[in-house]
Formats: sequence, C-alpha cells, structure tokens
Amino acid sequence: MTMRYPRTAVILCACSGIISEKIDWTRVETLLADHPSRPLFRQDQLACGSDELDGLCRWLQEVKAERVVVAACSPREHQATFRGLLSRAGINPWFLQLVNVREQGAWVTEDAAAATLKATRLIRGALERVNRHRPLAARSIPVHTRVAVVGAGPAGMQAALTLARAGREVVLIEKEPMIGGLPVRYDELFPNLECGPCLLEPVMGELLHGPESEQVTLLTLSEVTAVKGSFGNWILSVRQKPRFVDVEACIGCMICQEVCPERRQNGWNRAGELAAIGVPFAGALPNLPHLDTASCRKFRGEPCEICSAECPVEGALDFEAQERELELEVGAIVLATGAEERPTLPAGFAGRDLMSAYSFERLIATNGATGGDLVKADGSAPVSLVLVQCAGSLDAGHTPYCSGVCCREALKLAHLAAAKVEGLTVTRLIKEQSVPGLEAGRQLHNDHAAVVRYGRFDALSLEEGPAGRVLKTGEGTEVPADMVVFLNPVLPGAGTAQVAELLELPRDGAGFLGQLHTLAESCAAPLRGVYLAGSCRGPGDVREAFATGTAAAGLALSALVPGRDLVIEPEVATVRPEACAGCRTCLKLCPYRAIEWDDAARMARVNDLLCRGCGTCVAGCPSAAIDGLGFTRDMLRAEIKGVLS
Amino acid sequence: MSECAVQRDSCCREPAELKIVAFLCNWCSYAGADKAGGSALPVPPELSVVRVMCSGRVEPTLVLETLRQGADGVMVLACHPGDCHYKEGNFRALCRAELLERLVVQLGVDPVRFCFDYVSAAEGEKFSRITCEFAARLRQLPPIG
Ligand code: FES
Repeated sequence: MTMRYPRTAVILCACSGIISEKIDWTRVETLLADHPSRPLFRQDQLACGSDELDGLCRWLQEVKAERVVVAACSPREHQATFRGLLSRAGINPWFLQLVNVREQGAWVTEDAAAATLKATRLIRGALERVNRHRPLAARSIPVHTRVAVVGAGPAGMQAALTLARAGREVVLIEKEPMIGGLPVRYDELFPNLECGPCLLEPVMGELLHGPESEQVTLLTLSEVTAVKGSFGNWILSVRQKPRFVDVEACIGCMICQEVCPERRQNGWNRAGELAAIGVPFAGALPNLPHLDTASCRKFRGEPCEICSAECPVEGALDFEAQERELELEVGAIVLATGAEERPTLPAGFAGRDLMSAYSFERLIATNGATGGDLVKADGSAPVSLVLVQCAGSLDAGHTPYCSGVCCREALKLAHLAAAKVEGLTVTRLIKEQSVPGLEAGRQLHNDHAAVVRYGRFDALSLEEGPAGRVLKTGEGTEVPADMVVFLNPVLPGAGTAQVAELLELPRDGAGFLGQLHTLAESCAAPLRGVYLAGSCRGPGDVREAFATGTAAAGLALSALVPGRDLVIEPEVATVRPEACAGCRTCLKLCPYRAIEWDDAARMARVNDLLCRGCGTCVAGCPSAAIDGLGFTRDMLRAEIKGVLS
Repeated sequence: MSECAVQRDSCCREPAELKIVAFLCNWCSYAGADKAGGSALPVPPELSVVRVMCSGRVEPTLVLETLRQGADGVMVLACHPGDCHYKEGNFRALCRAELLERLVVQLGVDPVRFCFDYVSAAEGEKFSRITCEFAARLRQLPPIG
C-alpha cells in the first residue's frame, strides 16, 4: 500500500554542540534519506534561539512544509516555542512532533554511535506519527463571571465578600432563614473566647448593608435543586421557600413574635420554644422574622391574624407568598455547605441532662433558652459536669476518625462551665487528646478539669449512686455526672450530601467533599469550576472556614476573569458516534465527569470543557469508539511502528 | 551506573538487537526520564520512549500490539499511587497491568517482557535503574516471535 506522505520538514538541533557531540546529524540524515516521507532536513545550532526561529520560519515557508518534526530537547521545555514557530509559519501548530534527543538521548547514552542510532529510530517514529496528525485548534467561549456561593456560614460569607470586594456579582444561597452558620450561635469561640456574634456581625453587616452588598444577592430559605452546564456556564435551579414576610417592607421590630399566641419547638436551640413567627434567637441576621406554617394557627385553618393586625407596617406580612423557583446563570460555584453534629449517645443511655456539645453551647449562650444560665432541666444548677470527648470517634462501630477540633471545644466548654457555676466538678473523659498549637497548649495548661481516659464509647454507663448520678467507664472508673455533654464527631452536613449528589461530586470515606488534590488543590473540587470552602471539605474550625473561604474565592476569581474567554484546549477525547455501542463504561471511568450520556442519540458524548485529555476513557472503551485528539490510536501505533522498524 | 555496566557485560545479545518501548506518562515518569538525562545517568539506548499524557491512556491491546510489532519488551511507567495528574489514571493502569501480566502468559509470551512500575518526576535514578535492569533481563531471553 502506498500512501502519500505530507511534505515533512525535520529540524535537527545541535543545542550548541550539547546534542551534536553525541549525535551525528549528518549520519542521521543519511540513514533516514530513504524514508518514504522523503523528509527535508535542516541542521540548526540552537533552534530555540530567537534569530534561529526567524530563519526556521522562513525556511518552513520556503519548503512549504506541511508537517514538522523537531529533534531537540524535552517537549516539557520547548513544545510551546515550536508550536509558536509553526503558527508563525502558517502551519497548524498541532502538525508538530518533538523528539527528545537531548535529555532522553544524548545525555543518557554513553556511546555516540548508539546515540545516533537511537535518535534515528525516534525520528522515524515521529515521521510516522506526524503524518497522522490532524489540524486542531483551541476554541474559546464566553463565560459568566457571576459566582454562586452555597452556604452562608463563615466560609461562604467570607467567599462571597471576597468576591464582591473584587467587583464580582455573587448569589449567596442559604437554606436557613438567617446567615452566620454555626459559630454565630456560640457565645464564645476558641481560643480567645471571643464572642461568635461579635466576630461575625461585621462580616454579616458588610454583606447585608456594606458597599459590597450591592453585588450580593442573598437568598435565604433557599436550596439548590438542580445543576446543569459546566465551568463558566452553570445553570442552577434554586427553590426558595416563602418567609411570608416582605423583606423590603419589614422593619424588623419583632412585634409579630411578641404577639403570636402559638408556640413551636426551637430547633435551633434544641431547647425552649419559639413563636410561630419570629427569629430563632436574638441578633439573628437578616433581622427578619419568618413564619412556620406547620405551627401558625392561620395556616392550620384557625381564624388568627393577630400578627398582621399588630404589625406597624402595612403589607409587611404576606400570607399569600408562594414558593419561588429561580434559575441562576453563573460561571463558578463555591460550596460552603458545612458540617454538622449528629447527637449520639452511648448504647442504652437515657435520662435527664444528657446533651450534645451544640445543645450545651446554645444552653450557655446569652441568647439561648435560659439567657445564658447553666442549669439542668429542673432549673437548678448542676453540681458536676462530664464532657465526654471522642464520643463516637475513633470507634469502628461509629465514626473511625478523629475530628481534630473537639478537644479544643471541650477545653473551652470546661472553662466556660466552671466560670458559670461555682464549685462545679468538671471531668473530661477522653480516648485520645489532640491539642496542637500554642493557644491550645495554653488552654490545656490552664485546664482544671479532671481527665479520665476511657476505652469503648458503648461501654459507658450511667448509675444513680448515693451521692447522685455517676458515669461509669468500661474500665470501672466512676465520675460524678449530674450533667453530661457529648462531643460527637464532626460529620458532613445534610447540605453537603445534597450538593454532592446534585453535582455528582466524589466524597471521601467520611462523606466530605473530595478535593482536586488533598494538598495542593484542597479548595477545588475535581469538577472544574466548583470550589470548596469550610467544613464541607472535612472537620475544621472557624479560622479554617475564613481561610478556605478566601482561598475558594481566589480560585474563582482567577479562573473567571471578565473579558477573558474560556480557552478550551483541543487535545481532548472524542466519541465516534457510529462506533459507540452505548455501554457507558466511559461514564464511570472519567475522573472529571466529562462524559455525558446522550439519551436521544443513545451514545456517550465528551464535554470538551471538562475533559482534561488523560485518555483513560480512550484506553477503557471496549469498542474503541473514543479517541484522544493529539494522542490517537492511529498516532501512537504509527509511532510504535516507526521506532520498531 | 556500574550496576548497569555489569549487567551489560553479562548480556548475551548485542544492545542494538534489542527493542524496548516504554510508555511514559507526561507528568511524572516522563519528567523522571528527563531527570535521568539531567543527571547523566545511563538509559539503555535500545529504549524508545512513547509519551502519553497519563499511564491510564495505555490500553492492554496497545501493549500486545507493540510486542507483536517486534518489541522485546514493553514498559508502562506511571506516577506513584495517589500522584497521578488525573487522579486515578495510574490506578486504572495498574488494574490493566495486572490483567496483562496474566494475559501475556496465555499468549505464550514470557511475562518478564512486560513491566509496570512507578517513576516520579524526581526519580531519575530509579528510571535509569529499572530500564537498565529490564534491558538486562530481556537480553537473557531469546528474541521474540
Ligand atoms: S499522569 Fe502520571 S500516571 Fe496519570
């Protein structure tokens, strides 16, 4: 079979003698002279030099080269240089094949004759390969520079603010009626016992009323229900539940809350009650009540409109408000959906004054159910307190890992509790203790709690003794336990699981969101255009939330720049429709979810925006229906044939 | 370097007779091979490198075809576990390599002719050593085919 070879120019670089002292280029020319492509050779002293490049450009044009092979250094060094040369000479840059005869030839081969033969062989491979190259071109598409931030805890707020400060439009989506996440509900934060609301209020204030608030659209009571598209061009469907309060008209006086005759459980405090309309706790922002239809008398069909009768602003209450479905076009998504505590007691535990760390935080918070008094359910002060650390952590039956933040939390709670009730006996029950860092070390040093080590969580038991209730470890140690607080492991929040499912993001063994790289790219999801902030990435503290919020915003800012189109590299996978059998193997293989199933055409399709050109699907397709542009089967086979002939 | 020289002395075939194809992933192994060059470490001259973006690109049939085309041995070199630039390509490559090792035996090919290993961008020395050792092992075998 004869085939017409395109006119192929071969540039042989001496690299100022570094290559040519080993490789005899004239001999190579002789050995390759009868190659069917009849290559046109040109030896060059230093092909990458700017003067030389000018000369090479003219020569390529003179000889009307259609393909170019450059035998020089590693493509990791000068591939871009020589692609540029081809462009300048009017040749498609992907009609280039570089042969690495320096790092992988001259420098690793003792014998000059052997090095010359090796170079000949490699160039023969390149001649065969380059003949199969097809013209490729990068394509560019416009992108949205608006960013959606999901979750308005510290991480999400920080991300939103950082983006807004850079002039970006941000949509901040929060499922709760208020923002601030968990720490805004804590009276004092580790390590300096700074008050949570005091730390976060300026941030929230800036988001809601600062100059940047112009750029921020806040959607409370909202959840993302569907995501379409890809990096640069996402379409998010958002469902917003009605607040039944006109956010523009309401002045936040909370008279409605005062006059409401109905009560519901205050889930945010995990204790106490709340009016059917109102805010979960004083100081919640935005300063707007919300109405709970499950408990509101009017919504239960009873004739009650006391709140709207008493409201000083006409029309601020809107019982007709409906759920809204919104569609948002954004270029990037920052996920800051957080973590949660799932209260867990040891097997068989029941009784009074047993609570999780979150409930305890809310109990001692000045805006909590008791106004900050540390009291038991019967209203009296406890005489003894046990803080059970590692409560379900480091435990094969519960959570195998250590959350790394609860020891510090326990030190803080021990300190706060002791300050609230004089003479309180505090015991910290630990399995292991992890308190790295200077501040934590100082707290540990100042800690007055008794420390008892225990083995199994489920071996803990409660007993009423003559001197009051005691908690017994499996090892037989007894500690006074008038009140018991469990520091349960930090688990991924329900919102985190939900977005992971919507975006089909991988999750780690514990259910937190997988990262593009655990060290270098821990604030980026493996899906392009999705960034991660805060404890949806894994257990973390407030400091980390702020830091990763800033980091995620920085990634979104640098990925989407106004006026800069998205350049899509052409070396991606492509499916031959006639060959695709529809087995969908590739969908599971792709690490970037770049392959979609086209139900109408009954075939797989590669989204070139997401494909990074690794070729795993190419190798994995049982029908050989996928090929990798720039590294096609045909090219690789030709190269192999060339080097082996 | 001496290790390689010794092995070459004990060889029973001329270097030029041997044909080895090594598939190297762009990000680690290929960089490791460049590193061997930067450190002037020996690499068998019979070795021809075929650069791919990721070891996960190399399908078993490509390896088999390379052997059929007359290669005495084929290497697939990848980033270390956990280091793949594309997250898990090297894991796929490992699975395919395990399959291949069993497959080549069925086809009457000595499994010694196939080598899967990990070479990081820093491991120029390892690249030199494993390629020299692979060539030395192949020289003990009769020509393929
Ligand atoms: S990039 Fe090296 S093995 Fe995937």
